[in-house]
Amino acid sequence: MKKDDQKVRNIGISAHIDSGKTTLTERILFYTKRIHAIHDVKGKDGVGATMDSMELEKERGITIASAATFCEWQEHEINIIDTPGHVDFTVEVERSLRVLDGAVLVLCAVGGVQSQSITVDLQMKRYNVPCIAFINKCDRSGADPDRVITQLKSKLGHNAVAMQIPIGLEMDLMGVVDLVAMKAIYFDGENGENERIESIPEALMPEATAKREKLIDAASMFSDELTEVILEEQEISEDLLVDAIRRGTISRKITPVFVGSAYKNKGVQPLLDAITRLLPCPSEVKNEALDMGNNENPVILPSDPEKPAVALAFKLEDGAYGQLTYIRVYQGTIARGSTIINARSGKKVKVGRVVRMHADQMEDIDAIPAGYIGALFGIECASGDTFVSPGINLTMTSMFVPEPVISLAIVPEDNKSQINMSKALGRFTKEDPTFKTFVDDETKETIIEGMGELHLEVYVERMRREYGAVVTTGNPRVAYRETITRRAEFDYIHKKQTGGAGQYGRVAGHIEPTAEGDFIFENRITGGAIPTQFIAACEKGFKSCLAKGPKMEFPVTGVKVTINDGAFHSVDSSEMAFQAAARGAFLQGYAKAKPVIHEPIMKVVVETPTEFQGAVMGLLNQRRGMILGAQDEGPMCVIEAQVPLAEMFGFSTVLRSSSQGQAQFTMEFALYKLVPQSIAEEVAENVAKQKKSAA
Amino acid sequence: MSNLRLLRSTGLSQPLSLFKKTTRIINLKDRNFDMLKKDIFLKNPLSLLVHNIDDIVSEGGFGAVLSRAGVGKTAFLVQLALNNMLRSKNVLHISLSDSVDKVGLRYRELFQDLAKQYDIEQTNELWETMLPYRFIMTFKVDGFSVPRLEERLTDITKQGIFHPRMIVIDGLHFDESVRQPLADLKALAVEHSLHVWFSVHTHRHEEHSPNDMPTPLSDVADLFDIALQLQPEGKEIHIKTLKGMPETSDYPALSLDPSTMLIKDKN
Repeated sequence: MKKDDQKVRNIGISAHIDSGKTTLTERILFYTKRIHAIHDVKGKDGVGATMDSMELEKERGITIASAATFCEWQEHEINIIDTPGHVDFTVEVERSLRVLDGAVLVLCAVGGVQSQSITVDLQMKRYNVPCIAFINKCDRSGADPDRVITQLKSKLGHNAVAMQIPIGLEMDLMGVVDLVAMKAIYFDGENGENERIESIPEALMPEATAKREKLIDAASMFSDELTEVILEEQEISEDLLVDAIRRGTISRKITPVFVGSAYKNKGVQPLLDAITRLLPCPSEVKNEALDMGNNENPVILPSDPEKPAVALAFKLEDGAYGQLTYIRVYQGTIARGSTIINARSGKKVKVGRVVRMHADQMEDIDAIPAGYIGALFGIECASGDTFVSPGINLTMTSMFVPEPVISLAIVPEDNKSQINMSKALGRFTKEDPTFKTFVDDETKETIIEGMGELHLEVYVERMRREYGAVVTTGNPRVAYRETITRRAEFDYIHKKQTGGAGQYGRVAGHIEPTAEGDFIFENRITGGAIPTQFIAACEKGFKSCLAKGPKMEFPVTGVKVTINDGAFHSVDSSEMAFQAAARGAFLQGYAKAKPVIHEPIMKVVVETPTEFQGAVMGLLNQRRGMILGAQDEGPMCVIEAQVPLAEMFGFSTVLRSSSQGQAQFTMEFALYKLVPQSIAEEVAENVAKQKKSAA
Repeated sequence: MSNLRLLRSTGLSQPLSLFKKTTRIINLKDRNFDMLKKDIFLKNPLSLLVHNIDDIVSEGGFGAVLSRAGVGKTAFLVQLALNNMLRSKNVLHISLSDSVDKVGLRYRELFQDLAKQYDIEQTNELWETMLPYRFIMTFKVDGFSVPRLEERLTDITKQGIFHPRMIVIDGLHFDESVRQPLADLKALAVEHSLHVWFSVHTHRHEEHSPNDMPTPLSDVADLFDIALQLQPEGKEIHIKTLKGMPETSDYPALSLDPSTMLIKDKN
């Protein structure tokens, strides 16, 4: 394995669904000789594209999970993370974006910049991923690369400059003109594998010259040397120009645009050249880790293979030989036989097999140095875990995991589904820390919990597709909570002294609201009114009331219980008696403390073209949303609001239909807030109904 | 303090008549917050200023706060807005330089400092009850125009989402061409019966014009009912009246505390 990190590219290929991303990846693998035949995504041969390893992806022709694959081009090693193109899988996309150093934004020459490209582009902006654009499908009727470049500028705000122009369009697409070398490139052979370089056709010369001028003009912003050469009217060398464009690309100030058609095998090799020439190598990218010993303050990781290792497990896969963990090493080296520590659990792990992946096939290697992507075998971990050398206390992702806000009951249809379902759930909970599952004691239903409606839907779908577990789902339930609003006294005697062993315990004190935690217990008993050995039983008794609140059986939070008096009986008092007394005391105090219900409020951020701003605000307002602000960003506008989760069901459909499919939204948990009186009554009714149907 | 002033400061327009029939249900918790808000408002030295401002700046009126960069124009405007929010008046904050998040944070921090000054504990809950009174809009400087603002304003008022009583415009360039947009804004403000506050950036080298107004404002001073200047002197930032405020004895001299940017009574 080579160790020159200057010649490594970790890239992603991001795009709108159906813009031909998987086909492009397939061609890249073919030209880099990783595969020896081409299978189309929706091909008749039934093999499917090599990157789509999951069943579901093959069937739908979309890519869900990001498989990492590796190939070589012009002595450069390219790791391709195939990112999902569908909007509902953004957790996956964001996780893979962390691992990338650069990206190819694939756009359809007919469809142009579509809503998904906008989302993906925003994510890339967030993680500061430099990108180059590839306008695919130039062979389709209605293809217009110039319009797409204009859209790149107007809709995404990119400083897009053409690096190539197509020779012919639609049916007549023959090749491309390289505006840097000023040469025409044609693609011969059955699969376009032979590049033929010729001079530019006469007819295209004026357009090529004009566009080259523009390119040079844009590039001169990033190189004084180039500006000098231009001013002195000297010949501009290819290297000088490429170097300037590279600088602009890495700082995300320029987006070079390439054209072609992956399906017709045109323009893929020049794109590969561009990946190696324009996108950054791992050491050119600033990677940050969080120092757990220092309040999660960011630390910059030098991409140095000699330093202690820091690596991120960004994807897990269940293979034929057990769990395969994809990792990206940011610093140091992870070698076979070395010992690493999982920063989340603190567990020591010995590295067994180290492999390099190519979709479904693998190749054994000795070590993964800084800047590289590889996979480990037989490592117990969850997706998003950080591995470090012993002695370092860094993590790549924040340890903060939000509590789930929505739950769904699932029931397997048959015995086989039952077994598969538990397998699937075990896997999903490992992959995604925000996804949780448990069995409800009362209804014996399996409950899955997550961060939103779509989040859970995706997992139910994956269960069916990947694991063959057919489940029926109940209605999604919002995780309401109960709390109290005022201080109340309690004084409760638990007494059963009629026949058999007696029980006696008295507990007195008060409960009050607190913002400091979910439950605080304070013991202020003096003079042994309750003997010390029973205090723990009291606490346990109070705690046991929290899981199901007395008001509507939602979990109780934000309660402080103080006990300051009590009584016991020398024979009849027991731990059990005090637990029962505490439960009674809690119910007594709780009823007097004005209990209320709280609901999860989500921070909803909608990105929409400005013309739909009014409509979107209306939608949010109808859903009891409070709009915090609207940010005008040229053609797009970002609206930020707080909306109760209970009102967000079906929002994506409504949003799409009222914005012609162009608005996108993200949603994350913000806080718990008091449910308004009228809504609280509705909730109470629903709870009563559910209870009835469960009984 | 005169009787009238007392009445006004308690939010009542006429003496409270006991046994007056009322059907309004008061939530105890909300009343608690209402009292807290009133408390902060009354204790706050800015409240006196705000009352004066209410008298001076009429519907459709303009106010300006001037200073050099970094002295505290935004902090002053945010406190003015907070004082309106405390009195349940809707504030639309328009920033031409910062993001929504940043503006939001500014409010949050100043409110927390303000509440801390008066030893108020439930700041989080209190803040939640105040949030509905604020709406932030941000524009890129060159993307801002009065027709555009009007469009946005119609969006939110027509659908009953938000009806501002006061607009804060932070970051507008006061150059030679500012007169027309200001006149348009004035018409807009009259139409929506609200008043508008601006931050005006002044420069050290600029000389005062004959009417004693700093250059950026001198040509358009007639449109403004009130103009205040923040002037750093030593360790203090004085709030000096350029236009509109009567220099009476019951009106305290105010200054800005440079460490917290909170407005305080000089005495």
